[in-house]
Amino acid sequence: MKTIERKAAALLAVLVLVPLVQNARAQDTDRTDSQMTNTPAPTYVIRNARIVTVTGADIENGTIVISGGRITAIGATASVPAGATEIDARGLTVYPGMIDVGTNMGLVEVGQGAPGTVDLQELGEMNPNIAAVWSINPHSSHIAVTRVDGVTSVLSMPAGGIISGQAAFINLAGSSPREMAVVPEAALVIQFPRIGGGGGGGGFFQAQQAVTPEAITQRDRRLENIRHMLRDAEAYGRAQDAYRKDPKSVLRPMTDLKLAALVPYARGERPVIFRAERERDIRGAIRLAEEMKLKPIIIGASEGWKMAAFLKEHNVPVILDGVLNLPLREDDAYDSLFENAAKLQAAGVRFCISAGDSGAQVRDLPYHAGMAAAFGLSKTEALKSVTLYPAQIMGVGDSMGSIEQGKIANLVIADGDILEARTNIRYLFINGRQIPLVSRHTMLNDQFKDRK
Amino acid sequence: MQTKYLRFPEALAVAMALACLLVLALHPVGAQRHSGTDTYAITNARIVTVSGPVIEQGTVIIRDGLIAAVGAGITPPPDARIIDGTGLTVYPGIIDASSTLGIPRPSPSPTAGGGGGGGGGFAALFGQNAPSATSPNSTQLPGMQPEILASDIIRPGGTEIEAARNAGITTAQTAPRGNVFLGQSAVINLAGDTPQQMIVRSPVALYIGLAPIGGGQYPGSLMGVFSSVKQALLDARRYREANEIYERNPRGLKRPGQDKSLAALLPVLAGRMPVAMQAEREREVDRALDLAREFNIKLIINGGLEADHVAARLKAMNVPVLLSLNFPKRTAAASPEAEPETLRVLRERVEAPKTAGRLAAAGVRFAFQSGGMTSITDYLTNAAKAVEGGLSHDDAVRALTLGPAEILGVASQLGSIEVGKIANLTITRGDILDRTRRITNVFIDGRPVELRPAATERGAGRPAAPPTPTPEPNDY
Amino acid sequence: MKKLLSLAFLVIMAGGIASAQPRSAAVQNTLIRNATVLTVSHGTLTNTDVLIRNGKIAGIGKGLKAPEGARLIDATGKFVLPGIVDAHSHTMMDGGVNECTRSVTSMARVQDILNPTAIGIYRELAGGTTSALLLHGSCNSIGGLSSTVKLKWGHTAADFPFPGAMPGIKFALGENPKRTNQNNPGVPARYPATRMGVEETIRDAFARARDYKRDWDDYRAAIARGEKNVAPPRRDLELDPLVEVLEGKRYVHSHCYRADEILMLIGVADDFGFKIRTFQHVLEGYKVATEIARHGAGASTFADFWGYKMEAYDAIPYNSAIMVRHGIVVSVNSDSDETARRLNIEAAKMIRFGGLTEEEALKLVTLNPAIQLGIDRRVGTIDLDKDADLAIWSAHPLSVYAHVEQTFIDGELLFDRQADLARRPQLEAERKTLEAADANKPPAQGGGPPRAPSAIRRANAHEDDNQEREDNQR
Repeated sequence: MKTIERKAAALLAVLVLVPLVQNARAQDTDRTDSQMTNTPAPTYVIRNARIVTVTGADIENGTIVISGGRITAIGATASVPAGATEIDARGLTVYPGMIDVGTNMGLVEVGQGAPGTVDLQELGEMNPNIAAVWSINPHSSHIAVTRVDGVTSVLSMPAGGIISGQAAFINLAGSSPREMAVVPEAALVIQFPRIGGGGGGGGFFQAQQAVTPEAITQRDRRLENIRHMLRDAEAYGRAQDAYRKDPKSVLRPMTDLKLAALVPYARGERPVIFRAERERDIRGAIRLAEEMKLKPIIIGASEGWKMAAFLKEHNVPVILDGVLNLPLREDDAYDSLFENAAKLQAAGVRFCISAGDSGAQVRDLPYHAGMAAAFGLSKTEALKSVTLYPAQIMGVGDSMGSIEQGKIANLVIADGDILEARTNIRYLFINGRQIPLVSRHTMLNDQFKDRK
Repeated sequence: MQTKYLRFPEALAVAMALACLLVLALHPVGAQRHSGTDTYAITNARIVTVSGPVIEQGTVIIRDGLIAAVGAGITPPPDARIIDGTGLTVYPGIIDASSTLGIPRPSPSPTAGGGGGGGGGFAALFGQNAPSATSPNSTQLPGMQPEILASDIIRPGGTEIEAARNAGITTAQTAPRGNVFLGQSAVINLAGDTPQQMIVRSPVALYIGLAPIGGGQYPGSLMGVFSSVKQALLDARRYREANEIYERNPRGLKRPGQDKSLAALLPVLAGRMPVAMQAEREREVDRALDLAREFNIKLIINGGLEADHVAARLKAMNVPVLLSLNFPKRTAAASPEAEPETLRVLRERVEAPKTAGRLAAAGVRFAFQSGGMTSITDYLTNAAKAVEGGLSHDDAVRALTLGPAEILGVASQLGSIEVGKIANLTITRGDILDRTRRITNVFIDGRPVELRPAATERGAGRPAAPPTPTPEPNDY
Repeated sequence: MKKLLSLAFLVIMAGGIASAQPRSAAVQNTLIRNATVLTVSHGTLTNTDVLIRNGKIAGIGKGLKAPEGARLIDATGKFVLPGIVDAHSHTMMDGGVNECTRSVTSMARVQDILNPTAIGIYRELAGGTTSALLLHGSCNSIGGLSSTVKLKWGHTAADFPFPGAMPGIKFALGENPKRTNQNNPGVPARYPATRMGVEETIRDAFARARDYKRDWDDYRAAIARGEKNVAPPRRDLELDPLVEVLEGKRYVHSHCYRADEILMLIGVADDFGFKIRTFQHVLEGYKVATEIARHGAGASTFADFWGYKMEAYDAIPYNSAIMVRHGIVVSVNSDSDETARRLNIEAAKMIRFGGLTEEEALKLVTLNPAIQLGIDRRVGTIDLDKDADLAIWSAHPLSVYAHVEQTFIDGELLFDRQADLARRPQLEAERKTLEAADANKPPAQGGGPPRAPSAIRRANAHEDDNQEREDNQR
């Protein structure tokens, strides 16, 4: 890179960073983002790095070239295009950015006491046309806080009701949801109808629902409502197709936004994520999915380990977002949730690990995987559970989740094992752009750490 | 020659005088005029006196509400109504050592049972604990009023009392409902047309419960329950001291306010009236014992599910247990949707009948109580289960009779078949703890009670209350 | 024969009862061999043995000799860490964490409601935690009296309170005591509703406590002079602990978030002449670290839990490091049965956020909380004659890949992973037997509805903020 360009880059960095530091309290990551997505992607070369590709062998001393938002070359040596920004990663390790597909990122700013910032669940039980992508706040402070700790992409899901809405697969950079979205309507989210235990965090005096005939009837009715709506959507889709093909002779069908939204899911073209924790509910969700010809993913699956063979047989992938939850029952083994991932992995079930959080603690993702590794999951599998596997399960495995030529350049350069709590992130790339390691946290730290 | 004979009228007078003297000789002076209908003799029966050896074939004479004679080879008096006890066994009247018999039920509140679901925990407790009465001009909230007397509020008759009698129970300690200070109990016989006819002894014990008042009123937590009890006892102590000082010489002193709630606690502080404290789990029993030790008060454990875990301490502090026979029972139907039950609950159900035997072996005094069971016929059935669980048959019978009488301070009146004691008898065909036994006769205060075997369910004639699960102190 | 059977029965019964009583029998000694010992007080010792005798650390060194009958543990490749001390816990509390009904509830005592059978205790042992400060909740400006405990799973409640620990009391500032996040239709509103009212509540309580102390001092003086006609003042369980605070005999642990309320409480404490022992949560402590240090308070905070309330929105993971650098004794706590199982990772994060050294990070969950609770003469480090409260880890405890193998308290082995694994089939078998027992069979006909599964207890659910359910359940 020529000297003048280097100087310009330095000047640019200063111009960007100084006002940011002075304005610690604002949601000011947008100023960073707007320069991230609206300008042409620069070219970088990372040298002398240890590269953990995830899909292949580690490269002990290698080079990565990033250009146009993609990984264009990897190797012990790779040809470097002119004008690339050099990054000397001696002593450091390059990982794919981590991916958490069980979050509500951007839908909640402050969960308690600021309801104006909570857009997590809509009223009503059946909301297939509610899409998180329209509600995610790209300027939420949680986004920068999360990415500076190495999580570069998430699936953000709406909650509540039975059919909660559609989740968005987003990169954690961009100044509008569309800029952030890798797949804007990535999956349908269904809270599989069950008896007992409302949502949320429990507590000492959770009212115990009884398994009354009324509760069972209500649960069954909700299941029937789901089937009914899916069948209607399927019929609606056919009617719309027929009309489009032959608008002159076919009667124009009325628009139904809910059914329209459901069509690709009803046709099995896009996945449906079912929240189900217990064996009965997991089984019920999979049976429903097979009956209605959906493409199921189970999120939760606290009891997945008890039915690993069933999950494998039916080839249903699982998002484990409860590794660090307390065991379901008083009598459950103390490590029953820690060991869940290892048992599923041993049985050949496709799985990934999620921190299961609304935003503030998504950055803990590596420690959820780390705990699974402390209880039986191999370190390489643990790393895959937060990189390649979530990408594959969400159908973006050919463009994300590992360091391979042609994939999107979401990369993290760290000074140690990325799953370890003491490891620092030194460089961050999303969509092939280097993102400053600045967040609300770093700015408040800078503001106060030297106060006498 | 003329013989000196009494003329007929004079002879009659003499004969009558002699007859009167004879009658007076047979009946102590001061005996009431008896109607000729209050003397009974149960003959040729097996008599379990409890205080002495079993009399295989004997007679019990009842006169004027008391036991006039008991033994083998007794000839019934001519005016006695004979009950042929061949093949029958006579026991002292069975005692329920803790209940709410005769205490009117509070009118059903809209929130009772509807708040927290039927699954136990504090919501269920709260519904059951609505105070039975409100003391006028009290400084304390209802549910916190130790001055409430069971004897002031009990009502005679009713289906619960009838059901208890049909199950063979003649006597019960009964206490008001409430939250923390429930009130002072009474021992009552389960027959009589007026409360006065029922009361054997009052007051007996101050009942302390563990249910917070809630709804924003202090105490709202278990911590608050303990603190409010301790503060009340401290305040009572001060009340006594302040009044003593004031009475010696009121001049120059501000008068201590009159407070009947604190006054009601003074006999407890003085050790004249015991406290009956709700305690089922080991830690609850320990907490009760700690409280008793801190204030040097007499304690009775009410419930005692895990009292055997604390047996050594109970024995050392000489604290008796009113052991509930309302064993935890599985009430839930099987369902594939249901959660598996916890090992704790499963173990508890299996262990509960063994507590009595272990207490007996450790030398802890105890008596049986119904513990709020909804089906009072389970009382004797579960006593039999305690025998299966390791309690000796004799200890079980004692825990139904003389044991409670001793603990409740009525042992000179009840609990065994001895001359001079109140004639409460439970008569059975077959051993009282046999599954196949039938209760043939019940005497209360020397009068037979009409038994209606069909109406043995508590609450018969009214819509059945939903089965109340044994409340758990914590539910998380 | 009958006599013999009765005798046998009595012996068995006595044995059964004896085993249910608090353990007075001697605890087996243990020799841990060839471990990496993280002493916390004097560095890391490799290939070192630790001898536990009579419940104390009796030897630290190479090639120690095992006393007769001692358990031998080969800890090659393993790490020994002092038992973790959790300085903010609500585990094992019966009947509600809060007495919410008044603004000042200093009469409430955690010690009265200890539940030694709470499964949370065992799970925390499995995470290497051996002691905890059990606190009243944050419903009140002045809450109840805390209890420092050793997590002695299997013992009766009487064995839990830490002998010699300083008594404590909980204060709470900010959103929780003013109940703004709770929505309870049936429950009347309770003062205070603003931070101003929180301050006023505390001042008022201490003003009353000061007067109360004077009344009692006057009374005692009158009695000493021989006066007869004096009635004692009312002994008030609410004010007694506040007098103890004024006299420096009871530690104040105050839940707080915002910088302004931290400064407020320092001002109140200075006015009344007492010291705050620890600020709890203290998520904005980094903004006023200078003032906290000058006052002499400690800080017990989360590693990096933030953003869940407005008052937590400025929280940063660098909080601990900034406060440490200002000379404050800082500990990292859980306020959660869930997080209390993995405080080692919470400590490890603080190396990354603010550059604490490994030893400083370990201190956050061992020696520092012990100092804060006044129990550091007995626990918090691996030193001779300290209580044998320690855990053996499969890898360095600051690594996410580590798990606990064994946990000791007072030399008693209370958690053993291998034993736990071995017990599982036995428990399964016991369950099957119990479920088949008559007492556990469902009723022959009818029967009520069975219980449904309860809600999931998620990670990061912190008890101080789970109060709505407690208010709402009436």
